[in-house]
Amino acid sequence: MAKRPPITNRVKELRAAHDEMSQAALAEAIGVTRQTVIAIEQGRYSPSLESAFRISRLFGVGLEDVFGWEEGSPDA
Amino acid sequence: MPFREKTAWAMIVILTLAGLFYYQKIIAISLTAGETAPPIVPLVIAYVVFIIIASIIVMPIVAAISGKEANAPADEREEMILAKAGNWSGYALGFAAVAGLFNYAWTQDGNLLFHTIFAGLMASQIAEYGFQVWFYRRGV
Repeated sequence: MAKRPPITNRVKELRAAHDEMSQAALAEAIGVTRQTVIAIEQGRYSPSLESAFRISRLFGVGLEDVFGWEEGSPDA
Repeated sequence: MPFREKTAWAMIVILTLAGLFYYQKIIAISLTAGETAPPIVPLVIAYVVFIIIASIIVMPIVAAISGKEANAPADEREEMILAKAGNWSGYALGFAAVAGLFNYAWTQDGNLLFHTIFAGLMASQIAEYGFQVWFYRRGV
């Protein structure tokens, strides 16, 4: 199995806080597929810096309010 | 299931069927002749034509059941999946090439060298689509 990136995110939580925005709507807004949004939310994929900025700007929060480094990760 | 994963599954089936058809003929001819069959160009053409026709039939069906997603370009994650799968599948081809060369050095059988390299090409193509499915499902 592919190694999970040691990056946490609050994308699902932020979607819910923004009028229950759908995964498809978020995907379209940032220019990726719905499957990629699902993979990000499940922690199976770390988005590019560009997409990370697009997500944070869409929700009107800072980058570190969306993404964080997993505590206890060997590389922390 | 993403559109490109569906197409990968379709290509795995098409390429596997074409490969089985090709090597079933080659093995049968080799057994009858009592030696490795020479490269048979019409059979290679039939193999390629089968893949083209099957793709022409199957891909529009896959696109039709995938809706507008079929027309969308690959996003950043999909591009990474395609690139990584292509890279890994190169190892399958490399392995077949090295195996074929060693086999030729040992047996001096040029026909077997041809079939080994051709099988490597087939295997690497199937492996590429297999790795795509793997990365779609398990993460990249």
